[in-house]
Amino acid sequence: MDFKQRILTALNHEEPDRVPVMGLLAEPGTSNKILGKPPLAIASMLTNPELRNEIKDIMNSTWNEVLYATFADALEAAIKLGFDANWTTYTLMQVVEDPESKPGLTLHDVWGRAWEIRADEDGDIVVNYIRGLCPTEEEWDAWVERKKPLYDELIKGATDHHKKLADNYRDRILPIGYTSVGVFASTWQQMGFVNFTRFVYQKPDFVKKVIDFQTDLYVKYLDAIMKSGVEVVIGEDDLGQKTGPLFRPELIEKLYGDSYRRISELVHKQNKKLIWHSCGNIYPFLDKFVEWGFDGLLTMEPTAGMELGKVREQVGHRLVLVGNLDVSYLLVRGTREEVEDAVKKAIRDAAKGGGYILAQSHTHRSVDPTRLEWMIEASHKYGEYPISV
Amino acid sequence: MSNDVLEQLKNGLLELDMDTAVEAANSIIEGDDSAAVKDAVGAVTDALQTVGKRFQDGEWFLAELVYAGEIAKDVMNLLSPLMEAGATESAGTVVVGTVAGDLHDLGKNIFINYAKSAGFKMIDLGIDVPTQKFVDAVKEHNPLALGMSCLLTSTDMEIGKVIEGLKKQNLRDKVKVIIGGAALTEGFAASVGADAFAPDAVTGTDIIKEWGVS
Repeated sequence: MDFKQRILTALNHEEPDRVPVMGLLAEPGTSNKILGKPPLAIASMLTNPELRNEIKDIMNSTWNEVLYATFADALEAAIKLGFDANWTTYTLMQVVEDPESKPGLTLHDVWGRAWEIRADEDGDIVVNYIRGLCPTEEEWDAWVERKKPLYDELIKGATDHHKKLADNYRDRILPIGYTSVGVFASTWQQMGFVNFTRFVYQKPDFVKKVIDFQTDLYVKYLDAIMKSGVEVVIGEDDLGQKTGPLFRPELIEKLYGDSYRRISELVHKQNKKLIWHSCGNIYPFLDKFVEWGFDGLLTMEPTAGMELGKVREQVGHRLVLVGNLDVSYLLVRGTREEVEDAVKKAIRDAAKGGGYILAQSHTHRSVDPTRLEWMIEASHKYGEYPISV
Repeated sequence: MSNDVLEQLKNGLLELDMDTAVEAANSIIEGDDSAAVKDAVGAVTDALQTVGKRFQDGEWFLAELVYAGEIAKDVMNLLSPLMEAGATESAGTVVVGTVAGDLHDLGKNIFINYAKSAGFKMIDLGIDVPTQKFVDAVKEHNPLALGMSCLLTSTDMEIGKVIEGLKKQNLRDKVKVIIGGAALTEGFAASVGADAFAPDAVTGTDIIKEWGVS
């Protein structure tokens, strides 16, 4: 079997020749370490406030090229390590001046979110969500109107980006198109969690209006990714936090159930598979994921108490499971023996009968490439079907 | 003031009904009676304890915890001008902040809301707080506890740096250190020498309450 057959067989809940391994490489720092490349020159410029205009111009004029290079490197790095698949994503951001941030610049994305941008201790670029850009009902209509041209750009960019990556790499690895944002995330993150929570209870009509808008945009965005020719897509919404769901599951069903069903239908109409990514403790949502029509589940964050065996026990083979090797310790500082033991346990807990793809639980820049190599080697050693670990 | 109004206030919080809670608070302040205001503050504290227990028992979810905290905040904002200075004894001072390199404040702010309602004086240092600022605040306020929040695994080592900073200034024995956030675990807390790890804001408030009485 080749990498593509291996992944698609597992996604059909059948046993491939061996347990497939999927990469979640995306962080430039990780790819650079694997490929032996130096950090991007622009990252070191971030520490010099006098260069902020130059950085802004370079990043805004070359956004698509930089993003393509980031994921081309991620795919090259994944191929080098021996992954069967790796995710790729496209988003549209603009660099804007922000005197309150350390480099004097902040990234604003098309979904209405602000991201800090900085260089890490190795000189690689790091971005993190920091706040919403549209925190009030009064600003919403004007915001959408102002951003309209960007939505078309997002849709076109998503198809072009994923198509170019798929065309250039599909002979060596299976690129999986990842949406990198969800309808829930795009709704609350544009206004901030506390504001959103207030609106849910105080202005339900406004919340419904925003959800409808974000669902339409998400569906177009996902459709654009699928037009690129990718065969598997990953949707996402982080529905959990460390100890449980962020919102009552019944409320999520009421607010977002129809959106999720619509997304699944769109993917299945095109005969593709939909894996869903969610961080946090999400046991109460597992049956919902099945009901909403998702084919697979990615992450199952161990630091939030998610256990692969327990998830398999609850959902059986109604969901393909993708994950969940720990990125807080195991793949950062774990010993070879610990990594091997974790791979064996994951295979034992989830791989029988197919429907399992081994992966780290989340992308993380602290993940050590050597530990990833150990993970892949162990999967080859212990993951041959029929499973006997 | 009738007990009905206090019940209405409590129910507003426990049924997540902002209008009912605010209406009750307004009716209390119209009476211009500081004893009644003190009772109202007590009712808010009681209600939030119930909210916290519901969250810890898995009956309520984070959004409900947050919204109950927001209702309490709005009610307390109405009541506070009528609260007599020093009328409510402080349960202790707590300095809190999100560590350097981390700009997230949701968990920290929920903790502040709940700890404030439990009677603590909260000194909020904000986000992206450098080591020295934590150390200086401990020196200045002599708090019962120092709380540090950290969402990102990439910044968790900042907590160790602050604890080392406290040791260097001979302050470590004078303050309890509590940490919380998505990146952290009980094991991590032990490894950097923190006194406690709180998986959520309610547990964090319970922990500092225990410290306050011991």
